[in-house]
Amino acid sequence: MPKLGQTVEESTILKWHKQAGDQVKKGEVLFEIETDKAVLEVESFVDGTLLKIFIRAGESVPVMTPVAFIGQPGDPIPEAPVVVHEPAREAKPDAVSIPHPDIPPRPHVATAPVAPQPVPAPPQTDRKLISPRARQAAKEHAISYEPIAGTGPGGRITEKDVLKYLEARKYNELRITPAAKALAIKEGIDVLSVEVNDPDGKISTEDIERKIAEKPKEMTKIRQIIAQRLTKSFSSTPHFYVTIAIDMTDLLDFRKKLKRENKPYSVTDFILKASAIALTEFQAVNSTTDGKSVRWHAGVHLGLAVDVKEGLVVPVIRNADTISFSELHEQVIALVAKARDGKLKPGEMTGSTFTISNMGMLNVENFTAIINPGESAILAIASIFETPAAIKGEIKIRSIMKATVSSDHRIVDGAMAARFINRIKNLLEDTNKWTNMI
Amino acid sequence: MDKYDIAIIGGGPGGYPAAIRAAQLGASVVLIEKELPGGTCLNWGCIPTKTLITAASFYARARHEIPPGLKITGISFDYKELIGNKNRVVAKLRNGITHLLKANDVDFIRAAASFAGRNLLLLRDSSGNESRLEAKNIVIAAGSVSALPSFLPRSEKIIESRAFLDLEKLPAKLIVLGGGVIGCELACMAAQLGAEVTIVEILEDIMTSLDKDLRSEVRRHMENDLRIQVLTGFSMENITCGQDGVKGQCAGKNLEAELLLCAAGRVPASADLALEQCGLKTNEKGFIETDFSCRTSAANIFAIGDINGKCQLAHAATAQGILAVETALGRRRPDRPQIIPSCIFTSPEIGVAGLSEQEAAKTNRKIIAGKFPFAALGKAISSGETIGFVKWIADPATGQLLGAAAVGAHAAELVAEATLAIQSELTYEELGRTVHVHPTFSEAWMEAAHAVGGHCIHLPPRRKAEL
Repeated sequence: MPKLGQTVEESTILKWHKQAGDQVKKGEVLFEIETDKAVLEVESFVDGTLLKIFIRAGESVPVMTPVAFIGQPGDPIPEAPVVVHEPAREAKPDAVSIPHPDIPPRPHVATAPVAPQPVPAPPQTDRKLISPRARQAAKEHAISYEPIAGTGPGGRITEKDVLKYLEARKYNELRITPAAKALAIKEGIDVLSVEVNDPDGKISTEDIERKIAEKPKEMTKIRQIIAQRLTKSFSSTPHFYVTIAIDMTDLLDFRKKLKRENKPYSVTDFILKASAIALTEFQAVNSTTDGKSVRWHAGVHLGLAVDVKEGLVVPVIRNADTISFSELHEQVIALVAKARDGKLKPGEMTGSTFTISNMGMLNVENFTAIINPGESAILAIASIFETPAAIKGEIKIRSIMKATVSSDHRIVDGAMAARFINRIKNLLEDTNKWTNMI
Repeated sequence: MDKYDIAIIGGGPGGYPAAIRAAQLGASVVLIEKELPGGTCLNWGCIPTKTLITAASFYARARHEIPPGLKITGISFDYKELIGNKNRVVAKLRNGITHLLKANDVDFIRAAASFAGRNLLLLRDSSGNESRLEAKNIVIAAGSVSALPSFLPRSEKIIESRAFLDLEKLPAKLIVLGGGVIGCELACMAAQLGAEVTIVEILEDIMTSLDKDLRSEVRRHMENDLRIQVLTGFSMENITCGQDGVKGQCAGKNLEAELLLCAAGRVPASADLALEQCGLKTNEKGFIETDFSCRTSAANIFAIGDINGKCQLAHAATAQGILAVETALGRRRPDRPQIIPSCIFTSPEIGVAGLSEQEAAKTNRKIIAGKFPFAALGKAISSGETIGFVKWIADPATGQLLGAAAVGAHAAELVAEATLAIQSELTYEELGRTVHVHPTFSEAWMEAAHAVGGHCIHLPPRRKAEL
């Protein structure tokens, strides 16, 4: 089990792409794992035959635990790594662990190991006892047998119970097109629960399709992870918000001038850099707390929320405070492109100390964002609008952009958040500050 | 000023059934028609063409397809008399409509109507007399007219379908510009009566809205048996008209004919309605857009038939007209969309209903199909009508019948069974289990339903892969 990221202690195998006995080539995807941050594919770094799978899909194990053995047919297969259940014991050296190609295997760090936990099965209603004939009768009539009271031994539902139930529910009076019934049987829809939309009271495929669309569906893993992380952050971190209006008129002019000089920097580049500078000056905003201790992050690593087909990913621009402006610009372009193509590596999505969410392109007046777990603030950037503004007693049309910082009140107080975001405003409004940097 | 519950502009197959239905529901109704009751369909479309096509098919069969042993000699035709018969048929049906309107207490006014407000219509009769009337609800059923593209010279040698149906002499050589439904039907009719016909169609094939297997069956027959020259993928250029006819070029060929029939589609007749007076606008193609129940953006005004751009078919207009007045009178809730079958009276005939294979492909919808050729059907062989086939299109997951097509003898009649099956959401298994009368053409549907499941009785199993 590769260690993908500094904070990942345990991962779950979601799916094996290869079975025991399969030939495996270097670079081929072996299995998929789910960390607390993402779902990732793990590739083999050797050629050979997958001789044994130790950890099945659905099980979680601490990182660096051997999950399978790759060798040549006939090789002696090492024992399954029961070792991982005991504290601080190294994996057997002859067992092949499969780290991510980008992250060299490191000595196993003793962590509190967690016993493999099967992923909880989807919630199931109490299984009812039912005879095969009764089950078949329920299926043929496209009904659910859950509400039927069984009269057989031990409350078992008999065919007679099903037929009585059908009579009680006036099944004979139900009008349904043949195709609708076929569809209901195939999709397991209880036709007695279908709302009819037809004035004649006849159930059509359209009614069944509506019912199918209403069925709860499992979210994608990435959506589930987003849900879990954001719920945790929003419910355990006391958020508060400070909004400010930033006059971007001069910066936009400055940007146009740069563009003519073949320096096509984006508004986002300026916001990132301004934030990085401000973060070096406001240490608390670049820190994390667990409620008892505060940890300051020496490096300023900026997460940039990027909206992609599957949801949201946050690539990280490392050391955004120290790298040059043009380097930052290029990194942003490269990371966003990778994010859109789904090619971000785990290391490129972890370790941020502050995050920026820019909805400038989406025509929004203002919004607030939820703090990324492990950080103490997030900056929400809205669209730039031409707005009448009072300047030295006169009304001028200016390009105004609203920005809102969400902060963790446990370490950032109101006044600090206000000063922090005003520093960003000050940097973005004064183009003279940028001339030496670009 | 007269006041009505419902005023209907246009007395075609959309307008007059709507008027009768509204009267049945107790409304006071006025039907305003600037020409003749029955509209294009009855007077210059469906009915006259079918009258002529029946005669032409009769003639062609008698000449070329009589069963061995039967002798017919001296068969000929008098085209002027065929047109006279067509006029009598049309007049008879028109009188029927007039009687029905009267019997239902629908006021019929012969005048051109235009809007003077949301509830107000301005009427102008043929002598130029103007009057006004007020109506709570107004149904626009003004229909469409043949399009005459601007590149065509204006000449009596270039005519559209309406004028073509009143010709007293059939041209010996005819160019049909446009390989759509109207062009192909009239081309087949003229060719069956012995005219030398060329069809020019700019698209890659004739009747491109149909699945390829249907098109090629008809095209093969048109080219090989009716000797129609079909030029597709090219436009006609350098068109000139002289004393004795029309000349032009297409695909490097010189074309010459007595007459050019322009069948380049139909455009909505919305221009003279003064729609701005009731706050309505047409879209860029001249159609009045409506919702599901044919209601326009003005709540009391409905638009049905060719003028709303949904579907240019008489029976669609009829269904829409009835839906519109029932909605206007508060008697109908929105219900399931109805499938609109259609037919084409080419030789051979075509009938289609529901989803086509090319529509399914366009939306990546998975389908299974089953076909049965008339060449394998007892009744068809005994009747000597073995051209063509029927085809079902079904959902592979549930077996639901989604679409059907028939090409061959009686295809337009045959499609009725398919329409009912699709509208009722039957599955191919059920259709296959339904007993069909032997020997009939309808049996082909049952056989084709068996073919969907891969167990057709009257086709050898190895043919399955080809179907």
